[in-house]
Amino acid sequence: MTQPTHLSRRDFLAASAALAAAGAVPGLAWAQAQAAPPFRLGALNSITGVGGPYGPAMLEAIKIAIAEVNAAGGAAGRQIQLYAEDDQTKPDAAVLAVKKLIEINKAEAVVGIWPSSVGLAAMPITNAAGLITMNTCGAPEMLTENKQGLAWMFQASNAVFGRAFAEVARQRGFKRPAVMAFNNSTFVGQANYFRDAWREKGGDVSAFTVYEPNQTTYRTELNKVLASKPDVISLSAYRPDATIILKEWFQTGQDCKFIMPGWTANEDLVKALGKEATEGIISISNVAAHEHQAYKRFAAEFRKRTKREPDIFASQSYDMVITLALAIEAAGARADVAAINGKIRAVTGAGGGEKVSGFAQGQALLRAGKPVDYDGASSRLDFGKQGETVPDFGVFDIRDGKLVLNEVIAGKV
Amino acid sequence: MDAITVINAGINGVVIGMLLALPALAITLVFGIARFPNAASGDYMTLGAYAAVFTQALAGGSMLAGGLAAVAATTVVSLFFYAWVFRPLESRSNVSRLIASIGVAFALRSTITFFAGQDQYTFDLPLTRAWNFGGVRILPTDVAIVGIAVAALALVFALMHMTPTGRRMRAVADNPELAAASGIRGRRVMVTLWSIAGAYCGLGGVLLGVKAVVIPELGWELLMPMFAAVILGGIGNPVGAIVGIMVFSIAQEVASLVVGPAYKIVFAFAVLLCVLLLRPQGIFGRPMAAR
Repeated sequence: MTQPTHLSRRDFLAASAALAAAGAVPGLAWAQAQAAPPFRLGALNSITGVGGPYGPAMLEAIKIAIAEVNAAGGAAGRQIQLYAEDDQTKPDAAVLAVKKLIEINKAEAVVGIWPSSVGLAAMPITNAAGLITMNTCGAPEMLTENKQGLAWMFQASNAVFGRAFAEVARQRGFKRPAVMAFNNSTFVGQANYFRDAWREKGGDVSAFTVYEPNQTTYRTELNKVLASKPDVISLSAYRPDATIILKEWFQTGQDCKFIMPGWTANEDLVKALGKEATEGIISISNVAAHEHQAYKRFAAEFRKRTKREPDIFASQSYDMVITLALAIEAAGARADVAAINGKIRAVTGAGGGEKVSGFAQGQALLRAGKPVDYDGASSRLDFGKQGETVPDFGVFDIRDGKLVLNEVIAGKV
Repeated sequence: MDAITVINAGINGVVIGMLLALPALAITLVFGIARFPNAASGDYMTLGAYAAVFTQALAGGSMLAGGLAAVAATTVVSLFFYAWVFRPLESRSNVSRLIASIGVAFALRSTITFFAGQDQYTFDLPLTRAWNFGGVRILPTDVAIVGIAVAALALVFALMHMTPTGRRMRAVADNPELAAASGIRGRRVMVTLWSIAGAYCGLGGVLLGVKAVVIPELGWELLMPMFAAVILGGIGNPVGAIVGIMVFSIAQEVASLVVGPAYKIVFAFAVLLCVLLLRPQGIFGRPMAAR
């Protein structure tokens, strides 16, 4: 005799199997919609501290780039989620911030690092966590310590800066340079390469002094340098110590010219010291690629939001996010960080490709299977072996309180 | 390294030492009378410097107005924090009051940067050239700074040794229980103390801002050297604080000629270590405890 329980149990099993399958279908569709998780981007900017004049603009540029990427549907369908932290331009605060970004926010990349002290402090931590980092650091150690190839330098190394200083000094006919540098990784590198580049072409520097940060006065150090009677001093300094040194130099009345990095020798320095003490200072900086379409579009948006022109650091920060987004697009929605990292050179022209100047344009080409070459707002973004780029150099003179462009030296890796 | 270079370095050390003597004095007085190290002294200096910068800008370039405003502002703020933070904690250990003073320092600095931002400020003073006496360089601004510092120090010494209030303060510093038993009103002594502490930190901050630049970390960065100098001279002893900071500053400047700028701070602290090894109570201090 048929036993209703067995039959009904079989039926029950069949029915529940059918129900489960039916239940899984919306589950599958749901999983599909979940297939593109957001990309968690950490921004570690110098909002306060010595980098304070540049950090907020860099963060703004990062936000502009993220808005551009998310408006195009995200990179490979992944919306970018921003986690912003302030490193106070200090390595100890930076380490706490980057640990928070990694452990709590689970960031997959950290961009916008400005000073080398922070970059060098954060690199072991981000390398251990396998994160991509993009920065504007210049210390030569950033290149040599970049052993896993996860760090990308968007600003010329201070080795290149130091050599550029020496080249300009020779060009202008100086014969007895002296070197003064702030004691940190950024500036000691710059000073060493100036001295080495100068020695290469004959002659030596008359004095080489590395001074301590946060002092009230630098008169003793300055007197030692001035006693060697230099005709030009390569002064690698931040604005507070540069203000003190230049003030004390002016008070000695000794004739001497100065070559300084552009992030210090700008119109804010003139405001602090007045026109007389800053007349004739040679200011050398990386300049944004003003003729690139990417710069023009980015600058227009930046001007709309902040009513100011973007500087090189903001342009570099914008490029960081766009480059990363294009790499994610090229690697695909399921790619891990290492795969994305592997695509960064590909989307910036390592294998040829059509020139693009924005994310949407690059996304369309990549989805059509074509290679792209992103020429950024800051430079052509040709990355060297150690992840370095060399934007163009602008050589300015401070004349009557204004920065006057003298020449542009093309940057080459 | 000839004599002229050493003399120039020494003069530099004297100028810095003199202007730091004012907040160092404030620190040592607070330590002697209120009996705790006040870590907010640095940020009182910063407040003084910022107050002077803004007042100078408003008063059309008058440095005098700036200086007076700085002293007034820091005195008021110092009394405010005494009433709000340090008086309620009077019965607590000096470690709690030290930590509270660190909190006051952060609060003050954050308030300043909230309004003034993180960027540097400079005083609107014309740049002058130094007088050159055969290689020895003396700056007119430095002469003014030293003059003001000496006058301020003379004023506080007159107060401490020639007025009844000063006598009462020294009594409380010597032996608070005996002073209270003798009928000395602690409250009035404290108000005078904190007014002086605030005013002198503020004035020191202004002089420092004139010499260097006005940044948010102006005072905080100097706390270590100032505390070291106060300990060197003997905690609680005003003359000791001044001698300590002068020794410290001159040692730093002359040391940078010998060991290079990177080690000048190390050298100064090495001097401190040596003195403390030989004389733990500092140069002028009284032994606080004996085994």
